[in-house]
Amino acid sequence: MRNRCVGVLVAAVLLPALAAGQEGGEKRWDPPRTRDGQPDIQGYWSQRSDITTYSIQAGLEDRAEHVSIGGQNPQKGRPIIDPADGMIPYQPWAAEKAKMHHAVHRKPPSPDLLDPVSRCFLEGVPRIVYQGNMRVLQFPTYIVLLHEFGHHHRVIYLDGRPHVPDKLKLWMGDSRGRWEGSTLVVDVTNHNDRTWFDIVGSFHSDAMRITERWTFTGTDRLDYVATIDDPTVYTKPWKLHVQLGRNKPEEQYESAICEGNKAVHVAFGLPFEDQK
Amino acid sequence: MHRRRPRRAARATAVLVFVFAFLHALPGAQGPAEPAIPRGADGRPDLSGIWQVMNGAAWNIEDQNAAPAPHSAPWLGIPANRGVVEGGDIPYQPWARTKREENYKNRLRLDPEVNCYLPGVPRLTYMPFPFQIVQTPTYIAVLYEYVHAVRHLYVDGSAHPEGPIEWWLGDSRARWEGDTLVVSVRHFNADTWFDRAGNFHSEEMQLTERYSFVDRDTIRYEVRVEDPKVFTRPWTMSMLLYRRKEPNVQLLEHECYAFDGVAVGTRPQDRGR
Repeated sequence: MRNRCVGVLVAAVLLPALAAGQEGGEKRWDPPRTRDGQPDIQGYWSQRSDITTYSIQAGLEDRAEHVSIGGQNPQKGRPIIDPADGMIPYQPWAAEKAKMHHAVHRKPPSPDLLDPVSRCFLEGVPRIVYQGNMRVLQFPTYIVLLHEFGHHHRVIYLDGRPHVPDKLKLWMGDSRGRWEGSTLVVDVTNHNDRTWFDIVGSFHSDAMRITERWTFTGTDRLDYVATIDDPTVYTKPWKLHVQLGRNKPEEQYESAICEGNKAVHVAFGLPFEDQK
Repeated sequence: MHRRRPRRAARATAVLVFVFAFLHALPGAQGPAEPAIPRGADGRPDLSGIWQVMNGAAWNIEDQNAAPAPHSAPWLGIPANRGVVEGGDIPYQPWARTKREENYKNRLRLDPEVNCYLPGVPRLTYMPFPFQIVQTPTYIAVLYEYVHAVRHLYVDGSAHPEGPIEWWLGDSRARWEGDTLVVSVRHFNADTWFDRAGNFHSEEMQLTERYSFVDRDTIRYEVRVEDPKVFTRPWTMSMLLYRRKEPNVQLLEHECYAFDGVAVGTRPQDRGR
């Protein structure tokens, strides 16, 4: 009881602060700078928000499922901060489709209804942010994000170049960034429609646009807020928050997740290829 | 007559001095011995940029005549190509030469590229896709358009981790020898090939790669291959990497393992199951 009160109190204090940080780029802390004057976000990071990729809407049922399939800790994080109920504001047809994804995700009737990441496809943005650790390299005209899981990489150009043409669709989107105070603001466009936000099938279309705000709030803390807009699927834009903490320097190992992946074989009873 | 000569010589000298001064003032014209190359704040050559080969090594690192492509559209064809192996042929042990021929015959089934797996090193370098080098003084990342591969080159004096480890792309430890980046790569598996022609190695392969600028937009790439299990002696490949200079050029994606027809569950052999 006491703990719950503290939790509510913390949430009440933190959420407005977060909102203020998002809107005004308010300087609460002056970060170290790179040689060319950018806030220096280089280093090693991973999420501290207790979000799993099982379900970003975090129903109790979903938590239990994740514990049973992965032996993982139950998720307590609620990544969706807007709308306040923590649920994706789907249009009615899309809510039906998401419900269908959820209903069949344990035994999908066809490979396209199996979680794309289980098939070793790219995570997409923002899902990669809450999947594993990340190394940031920073240069005057671009920032590179290296994610250990599945060797995902992103190059965020800061040089004002235009996005690639609309016709080009990318698993990880096309990223253009700029600094607003100590917040890195990244427009991510040109998404394909094949990535999901989680294992249970929360989805978007290829009309999705994301605005990411990576805000420094201390030497060892980054707050990540993604505003996700897709007028063909949602009734309004929604926001997902991930808190990231700094890790000790660590070499990334090879994460070859396609090579020898048997998820689809198992799900659909396909024979394993002979081992050579 | 006699008086004029020195004057003429002086005039000629003045002209020469002017020409030299003019040439020297031209950016990048510092003489053929020392081409101007990009350098980082630490004075080292700066390999940053987007690079790509212009050769047919992805098809065959040895000499290759034009041929129909081994798929359903043969008119797309394999281009003729000069090999990149120094001295011509790969010094296979006899059993390995036989295996290479078997690999070639069954390449549609056996080539790891058919599954779009990580293609190994050095094959990743000469796949027909661009790659981007990003460089810091102690660490260099190489990002590839092909299946979003990444290589981590540590330039911090660290040693290879203790094996045995079998990685698709090996473990890379780099150092500078003058203006040449020398990369030791080891800890491979035996599942990658050198090309689409069935050239192969074992898990004992060790590589020494050398990256050096020819001019500001061209890198000479050399790789020495040692694998006493498969070859009679070490051998070397050599080729050029060209800078991609189109305005706003950037890496896109080639996620072929996710193509319908390649992804598990959508392949021809998966149909009807």
